[in-house]
Amino acid sequence: MLINAVVIILREVLEASLIMGVLLALSQLNLLSKNWCFKAIMLGVMVAIVYAVNLANISALYEGVGQEIANTVLYVCIFIFVLLIIYSLRDKQYSNVAIGAMFACVALAVVREGSEVIVYIHGFSTIPELYTPVLIGSLIGAGIGLSIGVFIYYLIVNLPYIYGVRFGFIVLVFIAGGMVSQATQMLLQADLISSELPIWDSSQIISEQSIVGQVLFAMMGYEATPTQLQVVLYVLSILLTTFLAVSSIRHTQRTKLS
Amino acid sequence: MRKNNILHTSFIGGLLTLINLSAFAVPIVEIEIRNHLFFPSELTIPVDTKVKLLVKNRDPSAEEFESYELNREKVIPGNSTGVIFIGPLKKGDYPFFGEFFPKTAQGIIHVD
Repeated sequence: MLINAVVIILREVLEASLIMGVLLALSQLNLLSKNWCFKAIMLGVMVAIVYAVNLANISALYEGVGQEIANTVLYVCIFIFVLLIIYSLRDKQYSNVAIGAMFACVALAVVREGSEVIVYIHGFSTIPELYTPVLIGSLIGAGIGLSIGVFIYYLIVNLPYIYGVRFGFIVLVFIAGGMVSQATQMLLQADLISSELPIWDSSQIISEQSIVGQVLFAMMGYEATPTQLQVVLYVLSILLTTFLAVSSIRHTQRTKLS
Repeated sequence: MRKNNILHTSFIGGLLTLINLSAFAVPIVEIEIRNHLFFPSELTIPVDTKVKLLVKNRDPSAEEFESYELNREKVIPGNSTGVIFIGPLKKGDYPFFGEFFPKTAQGIIHVD
């Protein structure tokens, strides 16, 4: 049970922790305040508790697919805020927009992952003999997840400015793609978009259950058996985010030179 | 004129029935979770057919219905029912499990 708790919580925390690490590092590189992060976590945790407590009711909405719709909205909003962050970091005059979008992004990520953590741990409160191992496992999992975020943060801030921004943007591009891929997945599960047969099966090469598969899923939304629509939307979102990232970096370089 | 109207109404009525029928045509399959076990733990669904899974969690603790093969993942709070659409699927075996209690909550869907 302990190991299982480590893995589950690690998976949840990793996504939010990666986003947080990258955004804090980008704030540091651009000499922006980092106060937004603590506030975003606090707000995120509060909303996550409300969301978790009402999960059964939310799930029952829209003929039983309320949970999928709520998740889709969260993923799409995170995606939009990532785009906004990348765009607004091009120029000092948009600093407030960047900070606002980072705040929103982290708060939403904490709601998304935090609510699942709460539902998971809370379920064990009715099973006393498992509660302690699950709590210990969760702490270890959260610790590993947060360490990876801290690692990414220091990795980026110790790079020279332009390389740090580039690296941070690359991570954001994949996070954005992952959000779109997961949103599509949710709509398929809710039958709001029609399901088709997957267009490939790479589970023999990289299984989604393997550690590599899990890390790839957290980092870029890896899917071993995607449908055509999922692949198309994923590629489009990656292209759009990359385009914004490149134009932002070019803009910053021009202004720095002049 | 009146005849035309009646025809018109019955045509629309017929169309609505058709739409309704197609919405109800999705077969529903029920799975129960009790004591962190799936009942039934093995089920068969038809090939190339969309199916609506109703996962009824009778335990007080939450469970996450998860399947890598089906690409599905859904948290089902304690004492509640989750709706998950699966398929259309190719012939084969698709294992699923409860992520929160993976040792006991195991099952498989045969598509035939």
